[in-house]
Amino acid sequence: MPPKRREQLARKAAVGSQVLDPEIIAKRTKRHLDELERSNYSEPTTLVSGQDEDDEEGGYSKGRARQTISDKRKVTIPGKSPAARSRKSTMNVRTALLYRKNFAALLDESNIATLPADEPTYLTAGAPPPTYPARLLCTVCGYFGSYKCRRCAMAYCNLNCESVHNETRCERRVL
Amino acid sequence: MKRNIVVLDNGGSTIKAGLVNSDREPRIIPNAVIRSKGDKATYIGHEFALCKDYASLHYRLPIEKGYVVDWDAEKAVWDGIFSDQVLNVDTTESSLLITEPYFNLPNIQDVYDQLIFEEYEYHSYFRCTAASLVPSGTLFSHPGLPPPECVMVVDCGFSFTHVVPIMNGEVIWSAVKRLDVGGKLLTNHLKELVSFRQWNMMDETYIMTHIKESCCFISSDYKQDLEICHANPKHNSIIRQYVLPDLTKSNHGFIRQADSIVKESDQILVMNNESFTVPEVIFRPDDIGIQQAGLAETIAHSISLLPDDLQGMFWSNIGLIGGSTKFPGFRRRLLTELQSLVPMEWDISICEADDPVTEAYKSAYQLASRPDFATRYCVTREEYAESGSSASRRKFRDWSSAESAEKKNPQTKEPLKQKGKLREDDRPPPASSKLSRSRSRAGTASASTRRR
Repeated sequence: MPPKRREQLARKAAVGSQVLDPEIIAKRTKRHLDELERSNYSEPTTLVSGQDEDDEEGGYSKGRARQTISDKRKVTIPGKSPAARSRKSTMNVRTALLYRKNFAALLDESNIATLPADEPTYLTAGAPPPTYPARLLCTVCGYFGSYKCRRCAMAYCNLNCESVHNETRCERRVL
Repeated sequence: MKRNIVVLDNGGSTIKAGLVNSDREPRIIPNAVIRSKGDKATYIGHEFALCKDYASLHYRLPIEKGYVVDWDAEKAVWDGIFSDQVLNVDTTESSLLITEPYFNLPNIQDVYDQLIFEEYEYHSYFRCTAASLVPSGTLFSHPGLPPPECVMVVDCGFSFTHVVPIMNGEVIWSAVKRLDVGGKLLTNHLKELVSFRQWNMMDETYIMTHIKESCCFISSDYKQDLEICHANPKHNSIIRQYVLPDLTKSNHGFIRQADSIVKESDQILVMNNESFTVPEVIFRPDDIGIQQAGLAETIAHSISLLPDDLQGMFWSNIGLIGGSTKFPGFRRRLLTELQSLVPMEWDISICEADDPVTEAYKSAYQLASRPDFATRYCVTREEYAESGSSASRRKFRDWSSAESAEKKNPQTKEPLKQKGKLREDDRPPPASSKLSRSRSRAGTASASTRRR
């Protein structure tokens, strides 16, 4: 075999193994699943991982001086509680209202990871992995897919869906 | 004077709220701060009823993955509920029953205590999970029979799905299992499919939720239904045409019937296999890459963790609550799948509520109406003033107390918890420690914002 041809083959093999790396696919799936938990859609280009969608309000930079929603809102609650009289809230409450943390941070802070392994917690309560093999479903039309894209390992069912896949999903989804 | 009792089922999508003795049916209030671009207005919780323009609503949800993370938004929604616009209660003279998610984090639980006692100054309150209330209700009751001792509650809601075995009113936490599939994920999944295949609906969460609720169903024969849709993608028995709302005139779209009047300008969304492949994720999470077993297998797994001699009782008392169980065909599909998993000697029976969304509220209402509710279940503000959040940790039996109450003595548990940064006794601590804490917080504020 001429050296050039061998090189080509080697490159082809390298490309194949690199793209089908299960870690990359797992990462892609995780990112997709995180997207499915979002409350509002934002364009993928403006997306910074872990950033919350609605930071534009409330001016995060001002520290304790910034306002909560209830500060500028007038509702009438009967009674004499701080909420009803718009009296100054306690330090605990102020802190909770002003410093929002996302769930990952709260989970980290809760220290439940340090509890003994036999104690049931959020971390241990996830359902077990499936015992049946995954089905291949066409990512374009939803029908059973019999083929996998060589570059990104997504399934499709026929030539028509393959071309749609190549035009739209393939580049976008691959990391 | 008799104290008011407020019941609040604090769900990820909607809050079911009411007063004992006056609201047998709950008020259903969006648990969100919603901004409408068309109206140029922000609606907080119950105010959403005033919204006129449903296009491209922006949602700020206090609850992320089932847990309250945005207390600013949550308080704003609660303020509205307690105000004269909804319940009109003097919180300082009332008791509260509020639901929390399963396996709620201890640091989040403390904030519940703080808000309820320090901000609203409730006289007393009880916090528990939705499923633990269900035995107080009527879901499992059969006329003439005593209530079953062992029940399996399947709570399939907005944020996630839990299977919760309960024995004699106590949740068996070691067998509670979570499936990370809920209504929010399903709506977003549908949104994505439809946007890829037909119209771009990525910003139309409100409309897509309505489409999901009106068109989606759970297939009892997935393979066959897929074949039907594949064989003739234009005309088949499954296909529905959903007429999208003309947002300048009406707010809701509808499913096109043979006699519907459809104008030429109307936009039509065709729901072909989307209508059952989306809710299918509850039964096959691996279809979208979630490495978890489907609902039926999760239930079987949970039951297998329970004492051998009681397993049969759990198999025969399965109850469904939560909005996502409302998909047509849910019960039938679950029954079919469970039948292939159940050991020969046991029978399966699945109970359905009249309205799975309000079932937890109605059960909570029953519990809160008991004469011993306040004394037996609630923590009072005095107790909280005396010992802070440890008062509620002692009294509310949740996942952490179930283990620790029997095995460990409270002293060994406390130091572990003290490590949590935010833990602070609610009596004013020595001034110096408080000061240094707030200063260090202010210093790290910028860093933490960046991390976000």
